[in-house]
Amino acid sequence: MCHAQVPFARGGAELLAENLVTELRERNHEAELVTVPFKWYPANTVVTQSLVWRLLDLDEVQGRRVDLVIATKFPSYVVRHPNKVVWLVHQFRQAYDLDRTELGEYGEEVFDRASRRAVHRLDRTTLSEARRLFAISENVATRLDQSLGLKAEVLRPPPQSLDYRCEEYGDFVLSVGRLDRAKRVDLLLEAAAADGDLRVVIAGEGPDRDRLEELAAKHRLDGRVTFTGRLDDDALADHYARCLAVFYAPVDEDLGFVPYEAFLAEKPVVTTRDAGGPLEVVVDQRTGLVCEPTPDAVAQALAWLRSHPDEARAQGQAGRTEAARLTWDATVDRLLGT
Amino acid sequence: MRVAYYSPLPPERSGIADYSAHLLPALEQRIDVKVARRRSRRPPRGCDVALYHLGNNPGAHEWIVEAFRRSPGVVVLHDVVLHHLVAGMTIARAKPEGYLDAMQRESGIVGRLLAHGVVDGLLQPLWEDRAADFPLTMWVVEPATGIIVHSHYAERCLRKLGFQRPVWVIPMPAWPVDVTASRTQAADLVIGCFGHMNTAKRLPQLLDAFARLHARRPGARLVLGGSPSPGIDLPGLVSACNLDDAVVRHDYLDEDSLWQQIADADVLVNLRSPTMGETSGMVVRALSLGKPLVVSDVGWFSELPNEVAVKVPVDERETEMLDRALEKLAADEQYRERMGKAAVAWARSEHDLDRTADLYVAVLEESVGLPQVEHAVLRDVAGAAAELGVDPDSSELTDVGARLREVGLGQERSTNS
Repeated sequence: MCHAQVPFARGGAELLAENLVTELRERNHEAELVTVPFKWYPANTVVTQSLVWRLLDLDEVQGRRVDLVIATKFPSYVVRHPNKVVWLVHQFRQAYDLDRTELGEYGEEVFDRASRRAVHRLDRTTLSEARRLFAISENVATRLDQSLGLKAEVLRPPPQSLDYRCEEYGDFVLSVGRLDRAKRVDLLLEAAAADGDLRVVIAGEGPDRDRLEELAAKHRLDGRVTFTGRLDDDALADHYARCLAVFYAPVDEDLGFVPYEAFLAEKPVVTTRDAGGPLEVVVDQRTGLVCEPTPDAVAQALAWLRSHPDEARAQGQAGRTEAARLTWDATVDRLLGT
Repeated sequence: MRVAYYSPLPPERSGIADYSAHLLPALEQRIDVKVARRRSRRPPRGCDVALYHLGNNPGAHEWIVEAFRRSPGVVVLHDVVLHHLVAGMTIARAKPEGYLDAMQRESGIVGRLLAHGVVDGLLQPLWEDRAADFPLTMWVVEPATGIIVHSHYAERCLRKLGFQRPVWVIPMPAWPVDVTASRTQAADLVIGCFGHMNTAKRLPQLLDAFARLHARRPGARLVLGGSPSPGIDLPGLVSACNLDDAVVRHDYLDEDSLWQQIADADVLVNLRSPTMGETSGMVVRALSLGKPLVVSDVGWFSELPNEVAVKVPVDERETEMLDRALEKLAADEQYRERMGKAAVAWARSEHDLDRTADLYVAVLEESVGLPQVEHAVLRDVAGAAAELGVDPDSSELTDVGARLREVGLGQERSTNS
């Protein structure tokens, strides 16, 4: 199981890789997680770092053949193997849809432009080598098709294993995830500023935490907003069990595990029209609410759920039915082609 | 990125001039393009790369070849056989030595001897019927840092000729058009054939097949639109088939009239043999207007999807197969409609102008910068190796170069858009 590692950062992609190794082992396969650190800046070093994967020899280990390699996110799929399956979490989006946005990495110099093209060439070649190509969501598959013309089968990963349960539809909205700008937690804080009755718990760590705490202080949200930091599994399951709803509205997210986790705790999810992957599972008025990406719209959506607890429960329960369909048995079968 | 752009442009009358006039605005939205003035000897200043459009017409392209030789760059090759261009630049300019060199470059001593025969008037000019056997393309394009072509057929031809630097395939862009049929002829079925009327258009075969169709369907009409080549007796060919009342000829059509004639036709026929590896602007126009096509099963034409074009072999069955194809199209209106819809969809996806312009930008960015990126990667790896005392020429570092080539980033890369 090949996975590009960003040291000290941990998110859904890391969980996916670790969970898959665990699930493979539980099914009596010998599985090992192979990681290589990846730093994506300066952008002109990306190709060199990717090449590290190409120089690895995973055909055999200690004289024993490695039957299958499963690679996930860029640049782990650059690895060579006669039986390579790619379960694409995401491409190096700075070279694609994030180029020339504030999240982009490449400048306008000839070298930068060509470095970006080199990533495309690398992707086209090494993804085409895969015996099977899966994507974790429609969103990821569509981006791949539109950027490189490569078709991927959609294989949504099951969420992490937690003690999911629903104890109540409490008085707070939960936000779970890494705290960086793309996750757009500030939208929730602005919504709390617009609605004096909204209580929020923000679970997670990340480089945006200081800015978010300053924003909360600026709006005098003390007492209504709690930053818990990273929660352990039990604490996270407990928060899911007690919250009213879950807010999850990153910008054009690949997939996001959070909606499925919320659903397994029978909680509706509030997201936005530009959230990308979450829109594949959050259906407006059926498993949650989909609103415009503005503080007022988010505040209104959450207020509606507060005042309609029966509908909140019904949406959460509908979500649970959807989430329960994703099983590791089916996932492993498709990845292994059995 | 700043690009020097060499191409014939309107009012010059050439398909490549029309092509550039169509492409340039879309390119200029994406990158800084400096169009080189015709016959200018110096390249525009401060450009990162030069793009040279080359075709077979010496009058339109000779100055571009000269500029390209002074400062090689990326070539857009519109014809993979450049014999006419070379002959025009050499023999027609009283520089036979150039022609001898080109033929020797192509076919060794035999080629040189043949060239002598042509120059001395002892042999029939090779460009008349054997250009495809002696394309002379490499003599022109060898210094190119990379070549853009419009079909995979042309790409294969270049590889066969021995070109080893990058080759990119970028389809010809379709024109945005808004023309609707306003047919004035009283005809059950109108078949159109447009473009320069030369021997490669297979006119005797077309007229023969149409005569058979017309015998069964007297209401059918054939429209021939385009100037005939010298030596082609079009009226004589038509009369010989007793088709004077069923064939409508337009020796010249301006652009608006051409579009209208295509719009008014039910079916377009565009036969071709021999092919010089060219893409047909007429076919792309017909696709844009959703017209069912009948083409020869050669070169770029073979790459058209079966849903949009009936492909006729160039062999002893040609006339018979053409007759069958026309009969089927005449008899089945729904079949024509299905093909027409597929043609529009194909033109929108494959021949979309924005897609074409994006591909050009990708090629230009790659052609200028990828060697730098490759060099930087090898420098990084060699630097790390040197810290460990590994010789830069060691087999370990050779392996790194091999891996780079494996992922499409080595110097000998073969490329596709």
